[in-house]
Amino acid sequence: MRTSELEELPISKIKAIYDYIPPRGIFKMHVKSLTGIETNGLYIDTFIAPDKLNAQNLRANIQKVKDAVKVVHHLNIKMAILGGFTSLLLEGNFNDFEDYDMVLTTGNSLTSAYVVKGLEKAAREHGISMSESNVLVIGATGDIGMACTNYLKGKVNRLLLCARNMNRLKTFGQRLLDEGHEVKYSSDLSELAPEADLIISVASSSEIAISSLKPKVIICDAGYPKNLEEKVEKVPGVFLFHGGMGQLKHGYSFNPDYTSQFYRYPAPHLGHGCIIEIILMAFEGIKENFSMGKGNITSEKIDLMYELSLKHGIELAPFYNSDGILEASKNNSTT
Amino acid sequence: METQEKEFKSIEVFNVTSDIYSQAITGELIGMSNFATLAETIDDPHEKMEAVEHADSERRHAEGFMAYAKKLGLNVNINLKGSYWNRIREQFLNYAAKKDFIACIIIQEVMLEAFAISMYTDAGNALGGASKKLFLSIAEEEKEHMDHSVELLQEELHKDPDTFIKKFEGIHFNCMTILSEFSARTDLKGHCGVCNGDCMKNALHHVNLNVDSLRGNALALYAKALDTIGIPGEKSIVWIAKLPA
Ligand SMILES: NC(=O)C1=CN([C@@H]2O[C@H](COP(=O)(O)OP(=O)(O)OC[C@H]3O[C@@H](n4cnc5c(N)ncnc54)[C@H](OP(=O)(O)O)[C@@H]3O)[C@@H](O)[C@H]2O)C=CC1
Ligand SMILES: [Fe+2]
Ligand SMILES: [Fe+2]
Repeated sequence: MRTSELEELPISKIKAIYDYIPPRGIFKMHVKSLTGIETNGLYIDTFIAPDKLNAQNLRANIQKVKDAVKVVHHLNIKMAILGGFTSLLLEGNFNDFEDYDMVLTTGNSLTSAYVVKGLEKAAREHGISMSESNVLVIGATGDIGMACTNYLKGKVNRLLLCARNMNRLKTFGQRLLDEGHEVKYSSDLSELAPEADLIISVASSSEIAISSLKPKVIICDAGYPKNLEEKVEKVPGVFLFHGGMGQLKHGYSFNPDYTSQFYRYPAPHLGHGCIIEIILMAFEGIKENFSMGKGNITSEKIDLMYELSLKHGIELAPFYNSDGILEASKNNSTT
Repeated sequence: METQEKEFKSIEVFNVTSDIYSQAITGELIGMSNFATLAETIDDPHEKMEAVEHADSERRHAEGFMAYAKKLGLNVNINLKGSYWNRIREQFLNYAAKKDFIACIIIQEVMLEAFAISMYTDAGNALGGASKKLFLSIAEEEKEHMDHSVELLQEELHKDPDTFIKKFEGIHFNCMTILSEFSARTDLKGHCGVCNGDCMKNALHHVNLNVDSLRGNALALYAKALDTIGIPGEKSIVWIAKLPA
C-alpha cells in the first residue's frame, strides 16, 4: 500500500460529505524569518462549504468555528488566527475562548496594512498622488474597511464610503465628518464610483459590480469571493490587483505539500495578511490577542504589523490578479 | 399484510422501514458473531468474559429490533452472507485468527459502531414513533460501547503512536473501504443481499432520509472517534478522502 502522505488530498471525492467533516488540521507549515528564527504552524480547516455560508446555517457554522478553536486547544497550540470568514462568523468576538489560555487574532491588522501599503505603492508607481486622490472603500463598515479608512483619513483628498447597511454607514461617516475629514457615503455604489481615483474592495460579496469609472483607476481587491474582475467595467487603464497579501522572502513549506492544490498563486511564497499576522506574532512571542472585535484596528497597529513584517523579511506581494503578475511588478516577482 | 396498511403511509414507507430493520438486525447479528468469535480466540480470561458479555448485548439489540419488526409486521430479511456484511465479517475473522484483540476492537467498536450509532440516530429520528425510541435507546448503548473502547485505544496509541497509527491505517483501508462502498450513493459492489428488491438507498426519501447525510454523519462520527483516540486530523482526513464513494 502506498502511504497516504505521498498523495495529494482527494478533496473532490468528499464533496458530497464535505461539510459533515469535523474541523481538523490539514497540513503543517514551516516558516523562516529573515532574522533566522523559525516557527511551525498547522492549518486547520473548519469544513464549512462555501455554499453553506448563509443565514440558514449560521448557528451550525459558528459551532464549527468554535469546534475548530477547540481542536487548537486540544492540540495544545497556544496561538491561532481565525482566518477568512471564520472571524466574520464570530464578528471577531473571542469571549468563548477565554478559558483556553490561547492567543487569538483575526489577522485583520496586517491584512489592512498590506491593503493600504499596496494601494500607496500602486499609486506611487502610477504617478498618482494620494493626497489628491479620492479613495472609495467598498465594505467601509467592516473591520478591514474601517481600519483602512481610519488609516487613510487625513492622507487623501476625499473618502468615499460604501456599505449596504445605511445606519452603520451613517454612524461611521458622520464620525469622520465630525473629525473634519472630507467624506461622502452611500449604499449606492454608482453614486461614488465615478469620483474614485483609488478603490479598496473589502466586502464579502459576490454582488458588487463597478461601472462609470474614471480612466486609470487603481483597484485593490482584498475581499472574497474573488470575482470583482468579472464585474468591473472593462475600461482601459484600470489597474486591478488582489491585495492583502504578503510575500515571505525566506519561503515556507507545507507538510504534506498541498501547495499545488490549496495555495496556488502566480508568484512564490505568497500568503494572506491574516495568516502572516500570526506568524509574526509567533516570531515576536506576542502573548496577547492582537486584532479582535470590529473597528478596533488603529493606524498604530497597522504600522506596527507592517514594520514587523519587513523586519522578518515578509514584503508586500507583487501586484497580480487572475491573469497573473501585473506588468509593473514583473521585475520583483521572484524571490 | 394488515398491519402494513394500518401503520404505514404507503407501500414504499413499509418497504424502506423493513429494509432499515433488516440492515439493523443483520448488523447486530454480525456484531454478536464477532464478539462470540473473539471470546473463542482470545486467551485473557477477563477479555474473554467481556467479549461474551458484549456478544450478549448485541444479541439483545438484535432481539429488540426483531421483536419490534414482528409487531409491525415488517418484511425482514436477515442475511449474514449478504456481500458487504460478509466481507466485513471476513475482515474481522482475519484479525481474530491472528488474536489481534486491538484490531478487532477497532473494527467492531469504532468502525461498525460509528456507523451503527449515527445511522440508528438518523433512522430513529426519521421513522419517529416507537421506532424512534427503540433506535435511539440502542444507539445510546452502542455509544457506551464505543466510548469505552476509545479510552482503551487512547492508551494503546500512547504506548507507541507510530506503530498504532500505521496499524490503524491498514485496518481503515481494509474495513472502511467496505463500509464506504456499502454506504455510497449506489452500492459500489452490487446488491447488499439484505434489502428487499431494489436497494433501499433509492427509497430513503420516503422516510425523509438521504444517503449523503446518513453517510456524512456516520463518517463524521468516525472522524470524531479517531480524533478522540488521538490520530492526527491531517492523517484521518486523507484516509477518509481516499475511501471509495
Ligand atoms: N486578503 C486577505 O488576507 C484577507 C481578506 N479578507 C477578506 O476581506 C473581506 C472583509 O473582511 P472583514 O472586514 O473582516 O469583513 P466584515 O464583515 O467586517 O465587513 C464586510 C463589509 O462589507 C460590506 N458589504 C457586504 N456586502 C456588501 C455589498 N454587496 N456592497 C457593499 N458593501 C458590502 C459590509 O457592510 P454591509 O453588510 O452593511 O453591506 C461590511 O462593511 C472579506 O471578504 C474577507 O474574506 C479577510 C481576511 C484576510
Ligand atoms: Fe448492538
Ligand atoms: Fe455494540
